Amino acid sequence: MSGELEGRVALVTGAGQGIGAACADALAAEGATVVRTDLTGGDITLDVRDEGAIAKAVDQVVEQHGKLDIAVANAGVAFVKPLAQVTFDEWRNLMSINLDGVFLTAREAARVMVPQGSGSIINMASISGLKGSPLIGTYAAAKAGVVSISRTLGLELRDFGIRVNAVCPGFADTEMVRSHMDELTEAIGMPAEEVIGAKQGRLGTAEEIAKLVTFLASDRSRFSTSEAFVLDGGATGALV
Amino acid sequence: MISDLTGRRTLITGAAAGIGTACAELFAKQGAKVLVTDVDTAGAERLAAELGEGHGSATLDVTQADQWQTAVAAAEEQLGGLDVLVNNAGIEIGAPLTETEEADFDRLMRINVTGTFLGIKASVPLLAASGSGSIVNMSSVAGLGGAPLLGAYCASKGAVVRLSEVAAIELRAANIRVNAVCPAFIDTAMVDRLVSPFEAAVGMPFGEVLKLKQGRIGEVSEVAEMVAFLASEDSSFTTGSHYVLDGGLEASLL
Repeated sequence: MSGELEGRVALVTGAGQGIGAACADALAAEGATVVRTDLTGGDITLDVRDEGAIAKAVDQVVEQHGKLDIAVANAGVAFVKPLAQVTFDEWRNLMSINLDGVFLTAREAARVMVPQGSGSIINMASISGLKGSPLIGTYAAAKAGVVSISRTLGLELRDFGIRVNAVCPGFADTEMVRSHMDELTEAIGMPAEEVIGAKQGRLGTAEEIAKLVTFLASDRSRFSTSEAFVLDGGATGALV
Repeated sequence: MISDLTGRRTLITGAAAGIGTACAELFAKQGAKVLVTDVDTAGAERLAAELGEGHGSATLDVTQADQWQTAVAAAEEQLGGLDVLVNNAGIEIGAPLTETEEADFDRLMRINVTGTFLGIKASVPLLAASGSGSIVNMSSVAGLGGAPLLGAYCASKGAVVRLSEVAAIELRAANIRVNAVCPAFIDTAMVDRLVSPFEAAVGMPFGEVLKLKQGRIGEVSEVAEMVAFLASEDSSFTTGSHYVLDGGLEASLL
C-alpha cells in the first residue's frame, strides 16, 4: 500500500452506495481520513439540498479532523423521462440535489480550503452533461451545470492553491443505472444495455471511477484544474 | 499501488529529451520495462543505461515505417513484448501560418501526426497480445484551441486527439485503450524556443502570459504522472479520452 493520501482529510457526499461508496473506500485505502455523508447512515447524515446542513457538515469535519483537503461532491439522483414531459417539480427537485447540492458542497469546501491555501474538489458530473442525452435530459442539464461550476471555480480558486475538477463517467454498473435499465429499454425500444455496450463497450465500474477520483485528489494531478475528465470506454469520442 | 506499472513493457518515442525522458524515468520507477527510442541514438542509449537493467533502447525516426518495424522487434526481443506505447515524439514551429514554409509544415505533420499513426499501426499486434494494451498519444492544449504562431502545431495536435478517438473505438475489441494527453506550456527546451517569438507576437512578457493563463509553468514530471495513470490499469475504463493538465488554461473564457 503506497498510502499516497496519508494525512489527508476527505469529505464524500452520497457515500452510502455506488460511486460515492467506492470513492470513499478508495480514498481511505490510500490513507485518507474519510468522512462519509448520505441521506441515511454514514458518518454524517446530510441532505445536500440543505444549505445550512452542508455548512454544518463541513464545520464538523474541520472540528473533528482539523482541516479539509479533499471534497467529493457526488450525491445525485436520476430519472428517465423525455424533457418535454418533465414537470417543473420534477425538474426543480433533481436540480436541487444534483446542481444545488454540488454548488453548495463545493462552495462550503472552498470556504475552509481558501484559508488553508490548499485542497482538491472533485465534482461528479457525467458524459450526459457533454452531449445531447435523450430521456435523461434533466439529469444531463444538471451535469452540464456541474461541469461549468467546476471549470469556473477552478479558475477562481487557482491562486488559493485549490484545484477543482469534474469527473464524467459513462454508464456504470451501479444501482442508479441498473434501476433505470428497464425504463430505458422501453423508451428506446431496444435493449438499453446493448445500446450502451455498442457505444462504450461495457458498463464501467464504481471502482474504476473511484480510481480517477483518487488520481484527481492526489498530487499526481497537481497541474490539472478546471477540467472535465471523461471515462466512458470511448463513447464520448465516438460519433457513431 | 498507485499507477502501478510493474512489468509493463513500454515503448516511448522521443524519449531522449523533455517530457519523453520524464516519462521513461517515472515508468522505470513505477516498475515498467522501458524501450527508450529517439532519433538521437546516443541520447536514447544513455538514458537506457541510466535506467539500468531490464530497459533497452532503439533508434527511431517515427516518420519511417521500417524503423518502426525494427523498434517494435526490439521491444519484442529486449522486453519480451509490449503493453504500452507512448507516442511522444514531436516538434514545433513558432511562426505565423503565412510565414510557414510548406516543407516545414509537411515535416511537422509527418512527425507529429504520421509518426503517431505509424506507431499505432506497428505496435498493435504486440499490444493486442498483451491483453491490456494502452496507447498514450502526446497531444497538447494546442490540439483543443488556437494559439498564435502555433498553426501547424495546433493542427497536428488536434489531429492526434481525433486519431486517438478513432483508434480507441477500433481497438476496443483487442483490449487496447487509446488516449491523448494535453499539457499546456511545460518547462522544456521546446517551450524555451517559443518564448521570444511568442512574446513578440502577443506583446506581453511570457511569464505574465503563464501567470494569467495557467498560473505557472508546468513540469515534465507532472505530464509523466498523467501518462503513467493512463498507461496503468487504474484507468481501465478510460479510452478515447484526452486528459488535460494546464492549470485551467483551456477552461477559461478569458
